[in-house]
Amino acid sequence: MQEVLLFSTLVMRGAARTMSYDERSALNGLRKLDSQSIGVIYDQYFIEVYRYVRYRINDDTVAEDIASDVFVRLLEASQKNKGPQTNLKGWLIATASNVVNDHLRRQYRRPAEALSDSMPDMNTSVRAEVDLREQSQAVKVAYAQLTTEQQHVLALRFGQGYSLEETASHMNKKVNAVKALQFRALASLQRLIGEVSYE
Amino acid sequence: MSNLYEVLEICLNEIEQGADVETVLFRYPEFAEELRSIVEASVSAKEMAVPMPSQEIIKRNRARILQHASEMREQSTASSRRIWSVPLRRALVTLMVVAMLFVSSTELVRASSNTLPGDNLYPVKRTWEDVSLFFTFDTVKREELELDHENERLDELHELFAEGRSANVDFAGYVTKQNGTEWQVSGITVLISPETHLPSQRVEINAAVQVKGQAQRDMNVLAERIELLPPGTKLPELEDNEDNGLENDNEEREGSNLQAVENAGDVSVMEPSVVPATQTPVLTVESEPETESFDGVVNSIDNGFIVVNGTSIDIDHAEIIGDLNIGVSVNAEGYYDTNGVFVATKITFKSADSTSGSESSDNNTSNNSNDDSDHSDDHSDDH
Repeated sequence: MQEVLLFSTLVMRGAARTMSYDERSALNGLRKLDSQSIGVIYDQYFIEVYRYVRYRINDDTVAEDIASDVFVRLLEASQKNKGPQTNLKGWLIATASNVVNDHLRRQYRRPAEALSDSMPDMNTSVRAEVDLREQSQAVKVAYAQLTTEQQHVLALRFGQGYSLEETASHMNKKVNAVKALQFRALASLQRLIGEVSYE
Repeated sequence: MSNLYEVLEICLNEIEQGADVETVLFRYPEFAEELRSIVEASVSAKEMAVPMPSQEIIKRNRARILQHASEMREQSTASSRRIWSVPLRRALVTLMVVAMLFVSSTELVRASSNTLPGDNLYPVKRTWEDVSLFFTFDTVKREELELDHENERLDELHELFAEGRSANVDFAGYVTKQNGTEWQVSGITVLISPETHLPSQRVEINAAVQVKGQAQRDMNVLAERIELLPPGTKLPELEDNEDNGLENDNEEREGSNLQAVENAGDVSVMEPSVVPATQTPVLTVESEPETESFDGVVNSIDNGFIVVNGTSIDIDHAEIIGDLNIGVSVNAEGYYDTNGVFVATKITFKSADSTSGSESSDNNTSNNSNDDSDHSDDHSDDH
């Protein structure tokens, strides 16, 4: 309940920011490296970017670094006149997706050491909590085995809570294509969860 | 299949609104079996959604981004300063150097304008004159400028003489007199020495010449080199009040002959070293010289030369009449060669008796008392 209240508060704050947010002037200020404009853009979009990245990367520190790196790239791109001209949010999510994909590619080439299978003895309540965590972990492991496009559509739809239309806009796809992609992604996820749980 | 996707979307929206999975699937029994795993997967995907980042994370990364922007601003400013500052600095330095050169050269030229030959800044004056000439493209103006410069040379010479200074000079002018080793060039007395480099052609009266030599304190120029200037060269006109002004050719030639005789008695003012007794003609006479007559008293005799009233006379080729002795009066007929040496063709020595006896009949020979003014006047009267 407290989380719901906190989320509502943040959404309201975000709405308040949105009301006073002028993307065109913010982009103009960004090109001039104006601190105030950069601060406004950060306040407007960092949470969304972070949540997207964190949804896809099961590591707080890495997610934070990548989310921050997305904004650094925004600064550098704006100085090379390669930054967004209108749709800043779309540019940020697309960049975040690319950075995450790059990170995952590097991670696949250098797989982390597997966790130890040996588990300490636990009592019943602790065991239940561990089961819950294991289930959650199984979902994350299964999610990590999806294709980057499937991860991307699920992150947008269920991580960010975007509508079909907004998701289609971010993915540069038609709505029907996103529906199909989403269907396949969920089917794969469910299958992989079963596989991971079975293992 | 599209119906399946549509039903799934409806189910997802209802679950999003808080509906139970089974309740939702119950409404679509024909898809329930197929959709169950999909909807459950969507619930799992929804549960993966992460909470809001902490305020610490937000502030920390906000500071990081703003710091990065600040560094980029500094780099951008520095690079733009570098881009503009290098050419700007070069342009400024060049401007300053040009301005300094302009100011200093202007001051230098101004300071050198009143200098005389031998002064430290005199080369600057001459260089500036050359530069002015170089950038004067109009022919008339160029000739005027050249004339101004030649006048300036003569003025410089007069100033040198007035100050009693000695210096290397060069100037151009018309030869108005040729009296042995002493010529008059545009009113300047020019002394010819054996070392003087003369042109191969005979230098006529009225010829335009360029004289290079040394201005001496006794108001003459010891010539080192004399060059003939091409005919038509514009040179400074002589002033009317000068006693050696140019007249018509015949009068001038007669005048110069007369002057030669006059100056023969006036050689006492000349430096003995200027006219050495060993003087020998160095140039061949290309045209028939005019015969002139010369009277005086023999001062010395030396190996083919006699000195009469201080003037050397070459007697190697002369028909000699009478006895050659120091102190006797002599009448020499001959011509001046291009070196200004009087080459005698006929020498008549007169005995002491005949000298005294002819005193009443020949004023020229009787006046051996070095009374130059009387001597000159007599000659003038004769003419």
